[in-house]
Amino acid sequence: MKNQYRALKCRSRVLLIFFFLLLTVIGVLSLCIGASSISVMDSILALIKDNGMARAIVLNLRLPRVFMAGLIGIGLGTAGAVFQAVLRNPLASPFTLGIGSSAGFGAVVTIIFFNGLVNEYAIVTGAFVFTLLSSFVVLGVSRYKGTTAETMILTGIALMFLFSSLSSFLQYLGTKEEVHGIVFWFFGSLSKAGYKEIILSGTMILVPIPFILRFAFDFNLMTAGDESAGALGVNVPVIRMLSIALASLMTAGAICFTGVIGFIGLVAPHIARMIFGSDHLFLIPASALIGAVLVLAADTLGRTLWLPHIIPIGIVTSFIGVPFFLFLLIRKTKEYW
Amino acid sequence: MLLTIPSRGAAWAGNDKNSIVFEDAFGRPISVDLPVQRIVVLNSDTLEVLRALGAQSRVKGVYSEIDRDEAFFKEFLDRPRVGSWRNANAELIADLTPDIVIAYEKNPGTELEKQLSSFGIQVIRLNFYKLGTIVKEVETLGRIIGREHQAHRLAAWYCKKLEAVQNRVGLVKKRPRVYVESYSDFHTAAPGSGGHDMCVYAGGKNLADKFKVPYSEVTSEWVIEEQPDVIFKTFAWSKGFKNKDNAFLNAVREKILTRPSWNLIQAVRKGRVHVFDSSIWTGPRAIIGVVYMAKWIYPDLFFDLDPKQIHKEYLESFQGLPYQGVYVSGDFSGGIQ
Amino acid sequence: MIQMKNLDVHYGKTRVLKGIDLRVNKGEIVSVLGPNGVGKTTLLKCLLGMIKPGSGFIKMDDLDILKMSLTQRARFIGYVPQALPSRFPMTVFDAVLMGRKPYVRFVPSGEDLEIVSQVLLSMNLSHLALKEFDRISGGQKQKVLLARAIAQEPCYLILDEPSSNLDVKHQLEVMDMLKTLAAKKNIGIIMAMHSLNLAARFSDRIVMLKSGHMVCNGPPAEVMTCRTIEMVYGILVTINRANGYPYTIPLSPVPVNKINSELLN
Repeated sequence: MKNQYRALKCRSRVLLIFFFLLLTVIGVLSLCIGASSISVMDSILALIKDNGMARAIVLNLRLPRVFMAGLIGIGLGTAGAVFQAVLRNPLASPFTLGIGSSAGFGAVVTIIFFNGLVNEYAIVTGAFVFTLLSSFVVLGVSRYKGTTAETMILTGIALMFLFSSLSSFLQYLGTKEEVHGIVFWFFGSLSKAGYKEIILSGTMILVPIPFILRFAFDFNLMTAGDESAGALGVNVPVIRMLSIALASLMTAGAICFTGVIGFIGLVAPHIARMIFGSDHLFLIPASALIGAVLVLAADTLGRTLWLPHIIPIGIVTSFIGVPFFLFLLIRKTKEYW
Repeated sequence: MLLTIPSRGAAWAGNDKNSIVFEDAFGRPISVDLPVQRIVVLNSDTLEVLRALGAQSRVKGVYSEIDRDEAFFKEFLDRPRVGSWRNANAELIADLTPDIVIAYEKNPGTELEKQLSSFGIQVIRLNFYKLGTIVKEVETLGRIIGREHQAHRLAAWYCKKLEAVQNRVGLVKKRPRVYVESYSDFHTAAPGSGGHDMCVYAGGKNLADKFKVPYSEVTSEWVIEEQPDVIFKTFAWSKGFKNKDNAFLNAVREKILTRPSWNLIQAVRKGRVHVFDSSIWTGPRAIIGVVYMAKWIYPDLFFDLDPKQIHKEYLESFQGLPYQGVYVSGDFSGGIQ
Repeated sequence: MIQMKNLDVHYGKTRVLKGIDLRVNKGEIVSVLGPNGVGKTTLLKCLLGMIKPGSGFIKMDDLDILKMSLTQRARFIGYVPQALPSRFPMTVFDAVLMGRKPYVRFVPSGEDLEIVSQVLLSMNLSHLALKEFDRISGGQKQKVLLARAIAQEPCYLILDEPSSNLDVKHQLEVMDMLKTLAAKKNIGIIMAMHSLNLAARFSDRIVMLKSGHMVCNGPPAEVMTCRTIEMVYGILVTINRANGYPYTIPLSPVPVNKINSELLN
C-alpha cells in the first residue's frame, strides 16, 4: 500500500517533468516564430553563436517575450492555485479577489492623473501599488472580522466591483488618447517586455515560490476545513494571510508590466487538478507549469493567427481558454474538486 | 434662401425665418434656421474653426475640458461649461438657449438630439479632424453662421497647402515606407485612423495600410522586417502650445531610438524618427502635421517648404495668436528664438 | 492525565460552561452527554485549545494547554470531527497522511508513509487506501477520520459525536476500535455522544451537562438513573440492565406541568 502510494506520486513527478519539457518545447518553438524572415535554423543557432541580425532579433525581441510569458504564467498559475487552496473555493482567482480590478484601477489612475502613458514606470507603479492595496484591505478586514475564507471572498468581490466601476468612471473623464491607452492596457501586451522588466517581475514572481511550496502540505490540510487543520497543528489564520500576501505579490508582479491577462489564474489550477489531483505538493508546481504553457501558447497564437495584426494576449487567453476548459470539463468523468 | 422646411423636433408654424439645408458628417441633409447667433461648442476642434471664422462672440457655452487648453483658448475660459465632449449636460445647454450645438459625429451619442429637440435646439454633427472632409465642413459651417467669406478664405488656405504637397508628391513613382505609431506604444495607425490619412496625404506608404484594425498592436520584429524609411510617432501629452522647448518630445524620440534591436531599422540608424504633438496630428491643424511629414519623407523634394512658417501663418491669420509652442522633436521645433 | 479545573466559558454575555471540573486518565473512555446546545462541543473545543476559557485552566500531563504550540498540542491530542466539508478531493491515504502533520517538516517521509499504512491495516481500511475519500460510505469516512487522528500518535483522542450518521454496524465497529485503542494503546478518550446506550455500553465514565453545569461524573452503572436523565434530557425513561451495563428505554417527554412545578420549586 505504501508502495502503491509511492507509485502514484512517482507518476505525478513524471508528469511534472513532462510538462516542464512541454514548456521548453513550446518556448523554443516560440523563439522560432516571428514576423521577420529568419529561418528556424538561424533562430536556434542565434542562441549559441552570434549570427548577426538573427541574434539581435532572437535575443532582444523573442527571448524576452518568451521569458516574460513564462513568468506571467508561473505567477498567475501559482497565485490561482494558492487562492483556491486557502480559500477552499474553486472560483477563487487573482481576479475574483479584486486584485486584478484594483491593478487595472491603479493603471487607470496613473494614466489619467499622473500622465501614466508618459512615464515609463508610472503605470507599473500604479498597478502594483493598488494590487497590494486591495490585498491589504482583504487581509485587514479578515483580521478584524475573522480569517474565514468566506470573509475574504466577499471582501474581494466587493472590491472587484468597486474598482471596476471606478475604472469605468475614470475612463469616462479621460481624453480620447487616454481612453485608448487604458483600453490597450486592459488587453495586455508583451511587446514592452525587456530584460529590465523581466528581472523585476521575475523577482516578484519567483521569490515567493519556495515559501509557498513550504506551505504546500499545509494547503492539503486546509482543504479539510479550518477546524481539522487547526487541530492538526496548522496555524490557519497566519498561513492564510501570508499565502494571500505572497500570491498577491506574485499577481502584481505578473500584471503590472503587461496589463491584465485574465483567466489563467482560474484555469491553470483546475487543469492541473484534473491531471495531478489535489496534493498541493504537486498541484502548485503543476499550476505554475501549466500556467506558463498556456500564456506562452496564447502569445504565440496571438502573434501568428492574424498576421500582421497582433491579437492582444488578454483576448486570446479568454477566447481560447474558455472553450478549451469547457471541453475538459465535459470530458472529465471524475469529480475532481 | 427661403426654404420653409420645418426644423426637426420643433412644432414650427411660421415661415418668416431663413434656413439652409446642408449635409452633416453622417451625410444626412440637415436644415438649420438662420440666423445662428448663439452657439454651444462641445469640442476643441470646432472651437478652433469658429475662431478662425471670427465667430468667437457667438460662442455661448463650451465643453468642460477646455481648461486643458487654457493657453490656446484663453478668451473662452469665462464661458459657461456644459459637460464633456462625450457626454454633455442637456439641461446646462438648454439654460444657455443656444440656436445650435456643434458636436462630433459620434460623440456624444444621438440621445443628445433627443434631449435637446424638446427645447428646439439643433445638434450639428461636424468632425473637423478628418483631412478628407475638413474643407467641406468649414464651408458648411461658414454658411450656417453666415461667415461664408471667412470660411472660403480658410478653405482656400487649406486647399492651397494641401495642393502644394500633393502636386509634388503626385509625381513620385515610389513612395518611401513609413511606420506610423499612434499615442500608445507599439500600436500602429492603420486605415481608419487620422495618422494613416496624414501619412497618405504626405506621400508616404504606411506599412500598415493593409491592416483591418485602425490601431493594431505590432511587434518590434515586424517593424524591423518591414524596414521603414521614416518613423513618425504622435504623443498627446506634450502640451504643444505651452511647450518651451523640445526636451520632452526629444526624450520620447530617444526612447524609440533605443528600443531593443531597433537599431536594425534603417530609419533609426539614419535618425529619421520624428515625434509629433497631438495638436498638429488630427484636428484643424492636421495640415501642419502633413506638411512636416512631407518635408521629412521627401527632404529634397520639399527643400523650400517651411512647416514652422506655415504654422505661424495659420496662427496669426486665422487664430489671432502669435506663434508659440513646440510641436515636433528635433531641430525643426523650438520657439521663435 | 487531562485536568480541567473551574472552567468558565463565555460567548459574549452568555455563560456557556460553568465551573467545570473534570479529569480524564490515559486509557479511560469518558463520554460527555447532554441535549444539543448544552455545551458539549464547547467543552471539546476548549480541550483542543480552540476556545479560550474565561477562567479556569486545562492541563495535559501538567502542561497548560493554551501555552502549548499548535504542533505540540497536535502531538498530544487527536481530533475526530463529525464530518468533513462536503468536497474533499483526496485519497483515503492522503487523508490519513494529514495526521502526520505534527511530525512532518516539509514533506512526509518514508516513515510517515509506513505509519499510515500500519494504521490503515489495523483498522481494516487497506482496501480503500487509494480510493477517493468522497466516494466511500459514511461509516468508512468516519473510520478514516479516526485513522487520521490515530496517525497523530496522540495521547488523547477527542471525538465529536462519532456515532451519529452511522449505521448500526459501523457504530459498533467504531466503538470497538475505540475500546481497543484505550486498552491497548493507553489512549485517553473523550467523546461527545448523543446515544445514551452506546455511551453507557462503551464508556468507563459518563459526564452529563445541563445548562453548562456538570450534573454527574462517574461510571455508567452509578450515574445513569431515571432521575438524572429526566433532569438533563427532559424525558421519562426506564432503565434495564443487560450484559452488565444500563440500557435506557425512552418513554415520553416530561409533561409540561411537571416541568413548570419543578421550576417553581
